[in-house]
Amino acid sequence: MFNQVSTIAGRVILQLLRDRRTMVLLILVPLVIASIVGVSIPEKQMLDYIAPAVLAVLILFFGFILTGISFLRERSQGTLERLMASPASKGDVVGGYLLGFLLFAVLQTMILFFYLIYVLDVSFAGALWQIIVFQIIIGILAVCLGIFISVFARNEFQMVQFIPLIILPQVFLCGLLWPVSQMPEYLQWIAKFLPLTYGVDGIRALMLDGQSLLDIGKEIGVLAGYAAGLMVLASLTLRRGAAS
Amino acid sequence: MVKRQTPTAAVEVDKASFNYKNIKAIDELTLEVPRGISFGLLGPNGAGKTTLIRMLVGLLKPKSGNIRILGEDLTRQTAPLIGYMPQLPALYSELSIIQNVNFFARVYQMKDKQQRAQRVEEVIKLVDLWERRNDSVMKLSGGMKQRVSLACAIVHNPPLLFLDEPTVGLDPELRFTFWEHFAELTRQGTTLIVSSHTMDDANHCDRLALMRDGVVIAQGTPNELKKATGKKEANLEDAFLYFVKREEKSV
Repeated sequence: MFNQVSTIAGRVILQLLRDRRTMVLLILVPLVIASIVGVSIPEKQMLDYIAPAVLAVLILFFGFILTGISFLRERSQGTLERLMASPASKGDVVGGYLLGFLLFAVLQTMILFFYLIYVLDVSFAGALWQIIVFQIIIGILAVCLGIFISVFARNEFQMVQFIPLIILPQVFLCGLLWPVSQMPEYLQWIAKFLPLTYGVDGIRALMLDGQSLLDIGKEIGVLAGYAAGLMVLASLTLRRGAAS
Repeated sequence: MVKRQTPTAAVEVDKASFNYKNIKAIDELTLEVPRGISFGLLGPNGAGKTTLIRMLVGLLKPKSGNIRILGEDLTRQTAPLIGYMPQLPALYSELSIIQNVNFFARVYQMKDKQQRAQRVEEVIKLVDLWERRNDSVMKLSGGMKQRVSLACAIVHNPPLLFLDEPTVGLDPELRFTFWEHFAELTRQGTTLIVSSHTMDDANHCDRLALMRDGVVIAQGTPNELKKATGKKEANLEDAFLYFVKREEKSV
């Protein structure tokens, strides 16, 4: 089981490493976005509030889009079908993707984290390893979401259309720019059902309030629940897409 | 049950059916393929060849009926016994030839590193691409991609190999080379199941099943099928049309 997972993860990593342009963009784009956030918010207190949320939003966004498009290509190029005819199970494929992309999620988090702290001078009160663990949980959610949503897209163009549908509402309602508690009541209700809301709450608690992972059990639980549910859905829909 | 021709058939299909929503793709199909031969599934587009192959490699589950591979029910445990070359080249375009073949060798549980490296080299040489082993697949021509795809399908030395339209888009010279490889594989004891809609491919097969509308309308060696038409100079196209007409009359 683990042998297959590590084989698939190794291939996912190798594929991304050989695509140099994507690798450069993976590192540069989050830094550009963080820089824009940094220079457009001159007030330090406001920047301290928004910067942790940017970490959570970017990991969800890039995890979703990278996995979604990679999986879509697996389906359209026939490699997923080939893999499904091999001894690798659906769980091996999903596990391999998770492991492969999480490496990039950790790398991206660390680069972005150090940029926010040391270049943009964002305040920080927690422990880096706890932030990485929490970001991995959001990363798992993003990968499972990307795999599951890719079932509904037939090409890259359609996959990109899911960003405004799946990601943007979460970005607007997660409390990135203003607290969820200040939104109209019906929006607060919607926000309660969106996983990124818990991602942003959790990372702010870790980075701003100096809380530990043990203090944000509710946020971790909700994110893990969403990730587990999506992982099951992703595994269930894997063969359907491969054979269509 | 299927009446066994030999006790060790490579593939046994017993009244298997498959529908895509309301369309019957495979209709109570019964088939037996002996071991160690090249067996052709011949028929026009939409005859059900690809659906049948997808069922035989375990990608589609039959709605009814039974499938056995090398004497065993089709499960994940039988997957290592099967090699599968899909219609599309189905390769990772960013990876090199050697990385693609090595990946599939690992997925097919070739754990010994040295043996795996040796076998990977062997199959890449077999498809005559060793000089270009470090090139990305995206830089290769269509024919080269087909050759890499074949190498990925045979790297784990499967006793049963499914090839879905393997020669589509190949020039005559390359098609000839492919059939030389296939003949070598059957000489080594591999059973080949090849789908095709071209008569040229069909002539290379030891036995053929002519398919139409999800059923097998005739089976036999190419010569047997040609002889059945009653014409001296009949080719396989004539044979196919003869059996189609006979089928229509019987309906």
